[in-house]
Amino acid sequence: MIASAAPKSQATLVAVSTHEREPDKHPLDFRLIVRLFRYTQPHARMRNILLVSVVLRSIQLPCLTWIIAAVIKGPVADGDSRGLVVGACLFAALALFTQLTMYFRQRLALELGEAVVHDLRNDIFRHLQRMPMRYFHTTKVGRIISRMISDVEDLRTGVQEVLFVTLVQLGQMIVAATFMLWYDAMLFLLVLGLAPVLWAINRHFHRRLSHAYRAIRDSFSRVTATLAESVNGIRVTQGFVRQRTNAALFHELIEDHSRYNFAALRMQGLFQPLLDLNNQCFVALLLLIGGWQVLSPGGGTDVGDLVGFFFMAGMFFSPISNIGGQYNQALTAMAGAERVFRLLDTEPEWVDPPSARPLPQVRGRIEFRDLSFAYDPGRPVLHDISFVAEPGKTIALVGHTGSGKTSIINLIAKFYLPGTGELLVDGHDIRQIRTADLRRHVGIVLQQNFLFSASVLDNVRVGRPEATDDEIIDVFRRLDCLDLIEALPEGCHTQVGERGGRLSVGQRQLVCFARAMVGDPRILILDEATSNVDSMTEHRVQRALARLLSGRTSFVIAHRLSTIRHADVVLVLDHGRIVERGSHDQLVKASGTYAALYERFVDACAA
Amino acid sequence: MLALGWRYRAGCVAVVFQQCLLVAIGLWSLGLTGLAIDYIRATVDPISATPQWPLGLRPPESWSPRLVVAAIAGAILFLAALHTWARYIAAVRAADLTQRIVVQLRSDVYEKLQRLSFRFYDRHESGSIINRVTGDVQGVRLFVDGVMIQVIVTGLTLAVYLGYMLSVHVPLTLACLATTPIMWFASMRFSRKVRPAYQRNRAASDKLVLALSENVQGMHVVKSFNCQDREIAKFVAANEEVKNGKYEVFRKLSIFQPSIGFLAQLNLLILMGYGGRLVLQGELLLGEGLFVFANLLNQFATQVGNLANISNSIQSSITGAERVFEVLDAPLEVDNVPETPRRKAMAGHLRFEHVDFAYQPGKPVLAAIDFEARPGQCIAIAGATGSGKSTLVSLLPRFYDPTAGRVLIDSVDVRDWHLDDLRRNIGIVFQDSFLFSHSVAANIAFGHPEATREQIERAARTAAAHEFIEQLPDGYDTIIGEYGCNLSGGQRQRLAIARALLLEPPILILDDASSAVDPETEHEMLDAMARAMHGRTTLVIAHRMSTLRRADRIIVLDHGRIVQQGTHAELLAMPGYYRHAAAIQSARAHEVTAMPHFGFSNLREVV
Repeated sequence: MIASAAPKSQATLVAVSTHEREPDKHPLDFRLIVRLFRYTQPHARMRNILLVSVVLRSIQLPCLTWIIAAVIKGPVADGDSRGLVVGACLFAALALFTQLTMYFRQRLALELGEAVVHDLRNDIFRHLQRMPMRYFHTTKVGRIISRMISDVEDLRTGVQEVLFVTLVQLGQMIVAATFMLWYDAMLFLLVLGLAPVLWAINRHFHRRLSHAYRAIRDSFSRVTATLAESVNGIRVTQGFVRQRTNAALFHELIEDHSRYNFAALRMQGLFQPLLDLNNQCFVALLLLIGGWQVLSPGGGTDVGDLVGFFFMAGMFFSPISNIGGQYNQALTAMAGAERVFRLLDTEPEWVDPPSARPLPQVRGRIEFRDLSFAYDPGRPVLHDISFVAEPGKTIALVGHTGSGKTSIINLIAKFYLPGTGELLVDGHDIRQIRTADLRRHVGIVLQQNFLFSASVLDNVRVGRPEATDDEIIDVFRRLDCLDLIEALPEGCHTQVGERGGRLSVGQRQLVCFARAMVGDPRILILDEATSNVDSMTEHRVQRALARLLSGRTSFVIAHRLSTIRHADVVLVLDHGRIVERGSHDQLVKASGTYAALYERFVDACAA
Repeated sequence: MLALGWRYRAGCVAVVFQQCLLVAIGLWSLGLTGLAIDYIRATVDPISATPQWPLGLRPPESWSPRLVVAAIAGAILFLAALHTWARYIAAVRAADLTQRIVVQLRSDVYEKLQRLSFRFYDRHESGSIINRVTGDVQGVRLFVDGVMIQVIVTGLTLAVYLGYMLSVHVPLTLACLATTPIMWFASMRFSRKVRPAYQRNRAASDKLVLALSENVQGMHVVKSFNCQDREIAKFVAANEEVKNGKYEVFRKLSIFQPSIGFLAQLNLLILMGYGGRLVLQGELLLGEGLFVFANLLNQFATQVGNLANISNSIQSSITGAERVFEVLDAPLEVDNVPETPRRKAMAGHLRFEHVDFAYQPGKPVLAAIDFEARPGQCIAIAGATGSGKSTLVSLLPRFYDPTAGRVLIDSVDVRDWHLDDLRRNIGIVFQDSFLFSHSVAANIAFGHPEATREQIERAARTAAAHEFIEQLPDGYDTIIGEYGCNLSGGQRQRLAIARALLLEPPILILDDASSAVDPETEHEMLDAMARAMHGRTTLVIAHRMSTLRRADRIIVLDHGRIVQQGTHAELLAMPGYYRHAAAIQSARAHEVTAMPHFGFSNLREVV
């Protein structure tokens, strides 16, 4: 509803859709609360002490006020200096006690919240590790991160503040109400009459404010998205002299954002004063009626009680607006809890069956038998695939984008389970093999060449954690690229940066080769990188690749002619079917699809 | 930064004035409540001191006490309404002021960012640049409304309160405020001590997020190498660190807040003891004296707490402001010489004269570059990664200026061209084919937003992009980019070519780093590039032999120097890098097949 109010120019600057936004509120749900509360179970001692301190504190605050009122009413009014001293001492003692309780109340609440969140984060992470590849292919990284960061953060506030602060404040209200009843029941009813007004104001403004904040967030996300793009695309912008146009569009966006901000600030500006006005109304009413009672002869109320009542009323009212705020936060926390628990409740689509067999040794014979597969039901990507890869052979997979090459390697790596038909590893159904065992014998190099932000050595060690530095250096030597790695600023100890960004594409590829090779896998899966590197580096990568492949059953999604030439079998895929198979030479002679592809390419190059 | 406040002085003065008015109104209504208490007390109990009527306004003798109380209550209500209204106005004014500042600053920073030279972007990470416009700008605003205005308002408020309290009773005021310096000192000390803990905390959280995002993005690596357990251990450790960091802050916070609370209560205690005695001795009125005092002390403590906030605000606003002003004050390294004449036409004659260039002093990237291109010629640039190819072409549109030597277009130094004219006449296809999240049409028309649909389609046709665009869900209106339709690398590059061609530039720069695509696309790409070059002076960074052999001249770069120059045939005839690179490939090509015409088909035979 708010997005429609955005300026139309936004469409021409950046089209940020908000359609995937998740609800930021969720009604209070008892099951969620119980489940969240269960997370405090491991910290039961902390929680119980906290509850005690909460109860204590809700009594202490009104009591302190009561002492002041009592002293003013009694000793001060009567001129009893001894009573004054006693009252002062009592007050000092109680104040000290109150603050001591406060220390525990605050510290334990904060720590409990953090402890719960800490456990939740670990649970989420552990859970994520169990999810199959499909989950990560279909879920955006940002979404998973926001589960872990912002939702969990909302939950923390929920535990740290909403629950315990609300308890303290409710308690304080009850105790203050009791005192007021004791002072003057009539007046108290009057106070009670004002409470709903206060509550209503709160509800009204909180609702409108949360709408306003949402509009602010939406417009701000448009601002940041535009900004991010502007910064990343600055070279294009300057190259095409678009600076002024962009600046004008951006100005419009932030004007728009500022309008929402202004609206919210304006509302806040009305809200707080209205609350205070309500308090003032109460003071005036109290004066009028209380004063009336005191002034009427035989009214029974005296001035001291009136003062006490004034103080207590403050104790009674201040929680109301606080609780209104807490209620809002509680709804936000609920939404967070709902999402976090939904993630935790998403069962992995498949896990190893209990009967899964260990796989100590692998020869490396892979067989596809009439295998069909679909990512989405009803949209098959592989049809009746049958082939055998004998141990030690290299199979090249060739075909257009979307022909099913990646799906085949996804199945061999057991990232996905086959649909119908069978995939046999050394004659065993892949479904019946322990996934961890299988992967121990499979080395994978994918196109992205993903590296962790760690040193080169540690990145290679991912392939075999117990490998020593010397072993890793030896792997580089066997790949015949040790000189290239040692040429890095700090050699093997060079930090590769986030996603390996500090290495060149070619260097990243070599590290990935080493990572796959260090585990000495029997089966190798390789999705050849497509990015361009200069011919010299290219040459080195090719040589390393040849060494990596030798002696292993290898599946290669090939982009280079030399790799295909090297393969024992070339499988040509088209729309999920194997349309041709054979060696390069055989296929060229066969003048089929492969030959046509090849011809066309050669023509393009020779032109 | 003070200058910034000065720019908005009218708004600032108005805000300060309104705040003062608010303090005065608040004080009056508090005084009236005290007055009422005293009046009631005096009426009921004639022995006690008579109230002091403010401004010499005594109610007429004829009024009954009840009427007087009612009048006071009415006055309180009236003041309360006035107060509410004034606060609302003040809030709106303040919001207006801060929003104006933020919009202005954001616009300024963005505008400046659009013009800043590439060196600036090389030096700073995009995340930090984005933060400057979003977060740090808020920091600067904070200085105006959180520091400057707050200092004045808090100072004035404190002065007024102090004045009022002193006017009521000097010794009592001093006694009650004895703890204030301690409070102030403690707040300052606390915020100083806790800041490094917060910073450590932020660093720990960043590490946690990095661990998570790397894990999710590299899930295929994690799974294929069975790293789940190690990843969990890594995450748990990072999580633990976050928790411990938080606990440290919590401990400090939980000691600090109750201590301050206790100090505030000590003030009340002093008031009760000492003030109570004074009331007993008849030196102080119960209502106008003690009651008002108690309330004022409360507010005083709040204001002192405010001071601690202000000191925090100063800290964060200064760090924010530094980063904002760093942008605003950054010199435009590449800018127009004043009064540069505007030239419309460009013939496209290029000359590099003894050009040296270094990103950092002492580390030359290009040295003694000399070459010439006549209008319509195609110059290909070859060389290994890091040899300076991209840097060389970026000197032409003045993304950087040479450290020595000159770059001439039509015999005029590029520095004497108006930047807009220069860049509008040079079409650039960047290596990464960056596209913005708008429609296909808007992306092609990026450099010339007013372009008609026919112009856009013509450019798309020349770039061999028309067919696939037509097949997109919404044709030319399809939104692409992060939130839209995904395009393949080849498609993106063709759009980038169309974008450059739309301007009909006499000079074209092609940084050709197409990722390998399937052969059909490859074929079309080469066609598109050939058509794009037709009739323009072209600088092309090329890896493909097919492109290289079409060039009128090839420049081979090595470590920033031109090591070879000539046509394809000439270079093949002389020993050196070029022949070597060609030989590697030729060897591979021969190995592939006996067909002779594969000789120099491509550096990277792609099937």
